[in-house]
Amino acid sequence: MPPSAAEKSGPGIARRWSRGILAGPVAFIAAAVVMAGGALWVPKGAASIDNIVLPIVLFPAIWAALFFYTSLDRNLLRAWLVTLGLLVINGGMIAMEFVGKGAAA
Amino acid sequence: MIRLSQERAKVLLAVHGWSGVLLGLLLYAVILTGVIAVFADEIGDWSSPLEQETVAPFPVGLDAKLRELATTVDPKYHEDLSIFPRAGGRIEAFFHHHITPEGASQPEDFGVEFKLHPQTLEVLDRREGFGEDIGAFNVSNALADFLVELHVSLHIPDPWGLLVTGMLGLAMMVAAVTGLLVHRHLIKEMFTIRKFREAMLVRRDAHVIAATWNLPFAFILAFTGSFFSFASSMGIPAMAMVAFGGDQVKLIETIVGMPPVENTAAAPIGNLDAMFADARQRAKMEPAFASISHFGRADAQVTVFTRPADGELISHNYVYDGPTGAFVREKPGLGLVPSVGGAAADLMGPLHFGNFAGLLSKAVWFALGFASCYVALTGMLLWTARRAESPAWRRMERAVIWVGFGLPLSLALVPWGYFIGRSRGAMELEAPMAIAFIATALATGLLTILVSEPERLRRFLLAGTGVALIGAPGLRLIADGPGWMSALSAHLSTVPALDVALLLGGVLCLRAAWGRSRVVVPAAQDGDAEEGEVAAS
Repeated sequence: MPPSAAEKSGPGIARRWSRGILAGPVAFIAAAVVMAGGALWVPKGAASIDNIVLPIVLFPAIWAALFFYTSLDRNLLRAWLVTLGLLVINGGMIAMEFVGKGAAA
Repeated sequence: MIRLSQERAKVLLAVHGWSGVLLGLLLYAVILTGVIAVFADEIGDWSSPLEQETVAPFPVGLDAKLRELATTVDPKYHEDLSIFPRAGGRIEAFFHHHITPEGASQPEDFGVEFKLHPQTLEVLDRREGFGEDIGAFNVSNALADFLVELHVSLHIPDPWGLLVTGMLGLAMMVAAVTGLLVHRHLIKEMFTIRKFREAMLVRRDAHVIAATWNLPFAFILAFTGSFFSFASSMGIPAMAMVAFGGDQVKLIETIVGMPPVENTAAAPIGNLDAMFADARQRAKMEPAFASISHFGRADAQVTVFTRPADGELISHNYVYDGPTGAFVREKPGLGLVPSVGGAAADLMGPLHFGNFAGLLSKAVWFALGFASCYVALTGMLLWTARRAESPAWRRMERAVIWVGFGLPLSLALVPWGYFIGRSRGAMELEAPMAIAFIATALATGLLTILVSEPERLRRFLLAGTGVALIGAPGLRLIADGPGWMSALSAHLSTVPALDVALLLGGVLCLRAAWGRSRVVVPAAQDGDAEEGEVAAS
């Protein structure tokens, strides 16, 4: 896709880089953290395994949802906030789990 | 008709093209090797048949043989016994325990592996060591294993290879979804070839038709493939870290189903032949795999897996009490009772491997996978040809032809490496196969540099692939493989069937090499159909 005149300008290039970083590595890391955090908040289900298995099975879908959202949301700041919000909430839950286990030990 | 704003459609079109171009060459390699891997079992049977067809993969008498073999190995290897059929019906029985090698973070299987003749139960081979190291000496399965490993991890060491193929799966998913969204007149485009328009438009239409019909399959393959790659390389370690303090063995025990309460008292194992027969009767299918934990102990447990019966999608897992041989339960693949997570995970295998309805579903998966290869290759050629004014894109077009037509040639010469290595008595066959593959890749790379005309290069590579495919059955015969008459009289139908398929494939390649070009796109002078279409929306 040829960049528009606005995108060729300094702020336009920075915006493209920002979106590329968000939709690329940041979305992937966020998807991995959401998957890992899922072990703590997805219901365990009848066999007590859903919280482990479902996030792993659905990882490609979690990533795809984040990738397309971060690629297409016109409001780049909002896309960053939503993605980082998911990352912080799930990362925080994982950190609290480790802190809790450490305290119990 | 899918309605998108012009801005969004442009973004999706860019994502569609760049996801294909940046990762397309590797993605094409993974799809092509996956198409071949669909027939991995048949390739094993073709390359290393025994003298007779194997009717029962778990024959009567295996019980007595396994008891006898158990007395010949260190009792610590009784912790786990895996039994499964391999190439030609040979039975592999691996007595092992789990140890963590120095410097490794996770335990690995270490023990003694026996290879048994399925009719006589004679021991054909015995090796002791880590499972992965023993596998390197598996002469009969080496060809199929080499091709499967190329598909699974591109022969890049774990976990990096799995991460790479996982990323490629995600890229394929992106290409499929964006391809669906950017083609606004989807139903119309499924049936449209503008025959009397410019060559570029005709080829673009052919790409769109193949991609559109293939779209659900491409999405399924991409989703399930990235699941398999990421599950073991990232998902399981991450989940073990969060939920089990990093203990992967405990995680596997939890999701597979907790073992019975520990009882180390000695107790002879029950009649395994009877358990296999019971599983056969319940599933109406032959067992495909059996696992025995704590062989010879009071807490021994036998799990027998069978492939799905006709009309079913999911395999069966039957659990038996080891000492008594009594049927305990049929369990789902994961967990002890049916669950949403277990059902979702159970679906991944049949949907990815296409092995739920025997040869028919495999043939369908092969054909659809082949169509995916066509879509990936024509997509890359269209993208590069439309930018052919630039010397860099012209070089990229030649690189696409090198991989697109050179990779099949490299793959067709892997059996040459296998049969030549085997006829010279090599015990580790990965090296001759790797040499054949890499040397061909380098030679075709050199040819790509030397031959400036893309169409000529394509014809050279296709002709080479044709010769390599036609030569493979001959080499099989030279390496002491059975002829067609003896194979047919021994009911080894896979041998002549694959020979014919290779000969036919070779003839088609030679015909394509000398025929009219249908695939390669000449340097672009036509308009940019897709971009024009999006701009008009």
